[in-house]
Amino acid sequence: MRIAFNTFPDSVKSQLATLIAQQNRLQNQVATGKRISQLDDDPAAMRQVLDLQTQDSQIAQYRKNIASLQTQATSSYNAMSGLQTISARAGEIATRADGTRSPQELSNYATEINQLIQQGVQLMNSTGQSGHLFGGTQTSQPPFVATTDADGNVTGVTYQGNESVPTAEIAAGAPVAVQVPGANTTGSGPAGLITDSRSGADFFNHLIALQKHLRAGDTASISSSDTPALKKDEDNITSQLADNSLVQSHLSAADSLASTQSLSVKKAVSQESDADLAQTLTQLSATQTAYLAALQSGAKLLSQSQSLLNYIT
Amino acid sequence: MPGLFATLDLGARSLQTQQQGVEIAGQNLANASNTAYSRQRLVIQASTPLQTSIGSVGTGANAVAITQLRDTLLDQQIQGETSVTGFLQAQQTALQYAEAGAGEQLQGTGTSGDVGSTGGLASDLSSLFSSFQDLSTAPSSIASRQAVISQAQQLTTQFNQVDQRLTSINSQLNQSVQAGVESANQLLSDIAGLNHQIAGAEAGAGAANDLRDLRQQKVEALAQLVNVQFSTDSNGEANLSLGGQLLVSGGTVQDTLQTYDAGGGQLLVRTAGAGTSLTLTGGSIAGTIDARDGALQSLHDGLNTLATQLISQVNNAYRSGYDLKGNTGADFFTGTNASDIGVNAALVHDPSLLQASGVAGAAGNNRVVLALAQMANTAQAGLGNQTFSQSYNGTITGLGTALASVNTQLDNQQSVETMLQTQRSSVSGVSIDEEMTNLVMFQRAFQASAHVVSIVDQMLGIVVTLGQ
Repeated sequence: MRIAFNTFPDSVKSQLATLIAQQNRLQNQVATGKRISQLDDDPAAMRQVLDLQTQDSQIAQYRKNIASLQTQATSSYNAMSGLQTISARAGEIATRADGTRSPQELSNYATEINQLIQQGVQLMNSTGQSGHLFGGTQTSQPPFVATTDADGNVTGVTYQGNESVPTAEIAAGAPVAVQVPGANTTGSGPAGLITDSRSGADFFNHLIALQKHLRAGDTASISSSDTPALKKDEDNITSQLADNSLVQSHLSAADSLASTQSLSVKKAVSQESDADLAQTLTQLSATQTAYLAALQSGAKLLSQSQSLLNYIT
Repeated sequence: MPGLFATLDLGARSLQTQQQGVEIAGQNLANASNTAYSRQRLVIQASTPLQTSIGSVGTGANAVAITQLRDTLLDQQIQGETSVTGFLQAQQTALQYAEAGAGEQLQGTGTSGDVGSTGGLASDLSSLFSSFQDLSTAPSSIASRQAVISQAQQLTTQFNQVDQRLTSINSQLNQSVQAGVESANQLLSDIAGLNHQIAGAEAGAGAANDLRDLRQQKVEALAQLVNVQFSTDSNGEANLSLGGQLLVSGGTVQDTLQTYDAGGGQLLVRTAGAGTSLTLTGGSIAGTIDARDGALQSLHDGLNTLATQLISQVNNAYRSGYDLKGNTGADFFTGTNASDIGVNAALVHDPSLLQASGVAGAAGNNRVVLALAQMANTAQAGLGNQTFSQSYNGTITGLGTALASVNTQLDNQQSVETMLQTQRSSVSGVSIDEEMTNLVMFQRAFQASAHVVSIVDQMLGIVVTLGQ
């Protein structure tokens, strides 16, 4: 083919432009470690990456939810453990308050029961990051309010919460509740911790009754009524503690699964978007070599451009 | 026998002929770098011979024409490919503007396990739903409420900014169409003027080669803008037509181009005189219009639909909620689409007004905020049964797909155009070696002819002094 005057310079310009563009693209991949960074680099892979990033973001949030629920569950567990201790002591007192005790001893037991009620109310009014723990969804006010007589004896404990508990997602479509309502007398929904119509638990009222019988020296009622009632309360508390432990195990397992899923997603993103550095560096080196060779040969030929002009005298 | 005077005349004409040859070679060398120039050649023919008793005697040579070495077929091909290249380049430019305006790109340090953020609406959408999830675990927390409001503001601001950028790009593209039409009209006028000059110059004798080169350059510049059809009629006049509409006939501009508002501020092109709407299929003006009304419009519509659905669905769920003060019925988002989506100003000033609860007076109830969080994985009928993120990801990668396709087509097209240009250059381009050879050839022929003149002059001198 006939080569005109402009053919070679145009060709050099075109080749250098192509090589510079290739260099720029490869250098960008090396610097960022990413094979794709713009939408048009690989649209199909970009779509995959965007979807995977959405998924990873959700998994990260579920793990945060799990951490928050674990904190709430731990706080609830600690409070319920304290309540279990109170229940055990109350049961012990009820057992000991038989006909062999003197009126003074019974009176002392009554005073201790009064203190135990107040401790129990204090425990049940514990708060966490989301407000009061045992008021159901009525978290902005203390769930239990104790009323006392002129002598400071608790005569009644009123529940101000409700029987609903919030749930939070630990995975897509997997809601979990960790909170326990202080009372549930509806017969459906989550069991109440202090009062529950299905199990017959009514811890504070049973303690008040025990206190009353102790002050009256009515050991027969303590034996026939208070002791079995307190047993129901203790069983209910134990059951709630067991449920809490199960929930915590569930949360721990869910977190472990989420962690594994997150690693899988990150790996998938890496496969789609990360540059193979060894391969990219090799390509970059080859392109740079070609670019330098093009520069050198082009410059040599252009600067030495010989024509008949050089030989015609 | 021609005689000494005839031979002298032969020598003189030869000198002129060789001189013209040198001038043509000089002209070619002067235009060696001119990419629009087609090399010229002097056509030399032997003069009419003289019939004598001893046979036909030559009377020298004359320069009869100066021709261009040009391949008309290649010119037509290049003209056509120029239109295609112009179309693709304009599309690429417009789509690159849109890609930058969308602000969606993968950022990362490339460390193992680094997912990399995108810095665009995708991450803002995810963050909003994550903040709803966070609030669902502590619905009365003021800090969590503030985080939700902050993320929502970030998202709405991003929507507004992207919308503004796309609107601005649309406006720029309309201006580009207008500028392209004005340039095209100027070129039509120039070409008509050149047609007139060529007709005048060629009325006597010979071809107006330089003017034809200039006209071809103008035609190709016009083809870059619109896919014109160039033809010559039976009278040799050059005509330009576009979409079947005659624009230039000989030295007269029959009609020009004009933009008009097709509705919504989108400019299209029609003929100014006849008012005929033109469906352009090549050139940068068509490429700009195609990108503006195609991929860019799809992107803009997709974002608006997404914003509208987000506003609608979130507000529908949100309105039934209760804030910490027992209020209900307010909206979370304000506005109707991407341009004006915003967060309820009351929430910005008082996070306790965020209606997260499903029951009045129950601060720990998270029914509404949980429903909002679960929307992240809910297929929306208004988005073609996709989630919000899926809809956005599909819309934005649609732009990427369109741009990637144009990039590939343009690379291929530029290869084709380069090949054709190289072929044309091999036919029409100036070779310095060739011209130098021709220069030497004409120079030697001039020297020889001058020697002939000199010898004849000596002979005439002898003849004149014969009788003395």
